[in-house]
Amino acid sequence: MFMHVFSYRLKCLIRDKELVFWTLLFPIVLATFFYFAFGHLTTELEGFEPIKAAVVDNEAYRRNTQFRQVLESLSEEGKNQLLDLTLADEDEAGRLLEEGSVAGIITVGDEIGLTVKQSGLNQSILKSILEEYVHTVNTVSSIISKNPGAVWQLIGDIQDRKTYTQQISFSDAVPDTMLGHFYALIAMACLYSAFWGLRNTIDVQADQSPQGARRSVAPTHKLYVVLSDSLAAFAISFLEVLVLIAYLAFVLGISFGSQIGYVLLTCVAGCVAGVSFGNFIGTFIRTSESVKTGILIGSSMLMSFLAGLMWVDMKEVVARNAPVLAYINPAALISDAFYSLYVFDTHRRFFINIGMLFLISAVMCGISFVHLRRERYASL
Amino acid sequence: MVMINVQDLVKRYGDLVALDHFNLQVPEGEIVGLLGPNGSGKTTSINCILALLKYDKGTVEVFGKPMTPDAYDSKRNIGIVMQNVAVFNELRVDENIDYFCGLYVKDPATRRRLVQEAIDFVGLGEFRKCYPKKLSGGLLRRLNIACGIAHKPKLLIFDEPTVGVDPQSRNNILEGIRELNRQGATVVYTSHYMEEVEQLCTRIVIMDKGKTLADGTAEELKAMIDRGETITIEMYALDPVDLERIPQLPHVVRAHYSESDGRLLVSYDNGEHNLLNLLDYLKSRNTSFNRVFTAQPTLNDVFLEMTGRELRD
Repeated sequence: MFMHVFSYRLKCLIRDKELVFWTLLFPIVLATFFYFAFGHLTTELEGFEPIKAAVVDNEAYRRNTQFRQVLESLSEEGKNQLLDLTLADEDEAGRLLEEGSVAGIITVGDEIGLTVKQSGLNQSILKSILEEYVHTVNTVSSIISKNPGAVWQLIGDIQDRKTYTQQISFSDAVPDTMLGHFYALIAMACLYSAFWGLRNTIDVQADQSPQGARRSVAPTHKLYVVLSDSLAAFAISFLEVLVLIAYLAFVLGISFGSQIGYVLLTCVAGCVAGVSFGNFIGTFIRTSESVKTGILIGSSMLMSFLAGLMWVDMKEVVARNAPVLAYINPAALISDAFYSLYVFDTHRRFFINIGMLFLISAVMCGISFVHLRRERYASL
Repeated sequence: MVMINVQDLVKRYGDLVALDHFNLQVPEGEIVGLLGPNGSGKTTSINCILALLKYDKGTVEVFGKPMTPDAYDSKRNIGIVMQNVAVFNELRVDENIDYFCGLYVKDPATRRRLVQEAIDFVGLGEFRKCYPKKLSGGLLRRLNIACGIAHKPKLLIFDEPTVGVDPQSRNNILEGIRELNRQGATVVYTSHYMEEVEQLCTRIVIMDKGKTLADGTAEELKAMIDRGETITIEMYALDPVDLERIPQLPHVVRAHYSESDGRLLVSYDNGEHNLLNLLDYLKSRNTSFNRVFTAQPTLNDVFLEMTGRELRD
């Protein structure tokens, strides 16, 4: 009996083309969109090209030996080359800027100036370099004017700059901000399992559909039917999330680290939470199917937003200002479970997320079943 | 054996009383029709009998046992054909029947046989691999019936199974129900189509506003009212003297002549040779006439007599 109900439920759900689109194809389309929209950010940073800039070759520039040495040092060929400079007269520099061959024009006069045609990453870097130079020169001049004896120590300090912050990696993984989007996307795909849960509850309640009425008059225990249906919903949603992860990993080349067992456990917990959430909406909220679907879409998008789907920093904003929300939002828990797997070598944070997901699922399932086990209805 | 025994059933929706001390007994082997206008409580009573709906008062017994949601032994022998088509659009015709049959019958081999018999019974053989969306309204109703009867229940409940069905499919459905009854099933059939109920049912319960108005065979119900046949005669004119004398003929209750459509309507309170007597009288008065029609009283007349309203009001 269990297999009979389960196998037909599986057929019913998997042939629901509309739901398959939203729960499988939509996340894949969104992943592709993310890849093309944000994918170039990492490649841009990894494949950094020296910034092309023009320097006006005037008398003041030739006289300013220090500045000339700084620019030459930044333009030295090698893996640390930051600038690619062209010496030109004012007109030629203007022409190069106009045709887009250089990002900006550096002009030395009474002050050091930068002319740009548009704003952008390269222009910002040029501006930072010049500001840093001017700031350092001003500082040195000020110290020497007050304490001329410190000149040699100062020169030594400038040559031997120290940084007082240290980068520590929690694992061997290379930090990648783009991954946050994909984690939130997988979280959203897991939450979309809720559509299957919702459909199940519609099809099992006599006051929601004629199919529910027909199943209610059959000599089959409701718990049996609900369990078979939920298992079928979980099986389909888990399979869909696996397809999505395979697409991300093998087609788009997104790395999920080497802990595949934990990745699968996260998907299991996410799909269980999704199906439970659908059951919860389908039973707890007494309204029409279309309104329930609307509530489901709205709430899952809100949860995904709070987990950082649309804006990666949102997750941090929530964690800072409303930490409780981060612990009860299944999307945030799923995405954080992936994040902690990728970033940390220990699994404490990961298992807290997974535990919370199962706990939330158990609560939602419990509430749903209290409603579903209702044996007679007040109205049909 | 009494298959269904409903006593004093009361169901309220807030201030609205949907069932008002409703009683129903369905003996084994009968086709019992619940006849009443929309909103008279037919479907509500069925849902209470099936233990789907809570009710405020009364008792429901099926197969001699109290009907509860967990009365699985009783449920195993009940088949229900809902007013709304209750099938899954994602399953093919044969899969739908197999699925619902499987909720009652565990053995796969038995189920295969029952599914095949149900498909043959409703004549969906050539559509067995079709999805419900590809079926016409009539074929869909047949699938709905097949899903309800495949497990060969002893008690079959049909809740307005012919709503929106073309006449040919309707006849097929009614003939199918008769055949199921001949095979031994007891049938409860709800409808607001009096012709269907009269044609099909061995016993009829007329309902209105949640109450049982009358219960009996079609003939018994018609005999309850003070009305026999109605004779209609087309004629160009009628002398007012005749209009005064016709009501004095034996068994005539009322006579009315409509000048606009040139028709004389004469109603009787039963009696025999009414047409002969009327025609003899008209000949004796040298009154010329054209076509003559007679109509027996219908269940609608019974309902009209009891409630002052038409069944389809």
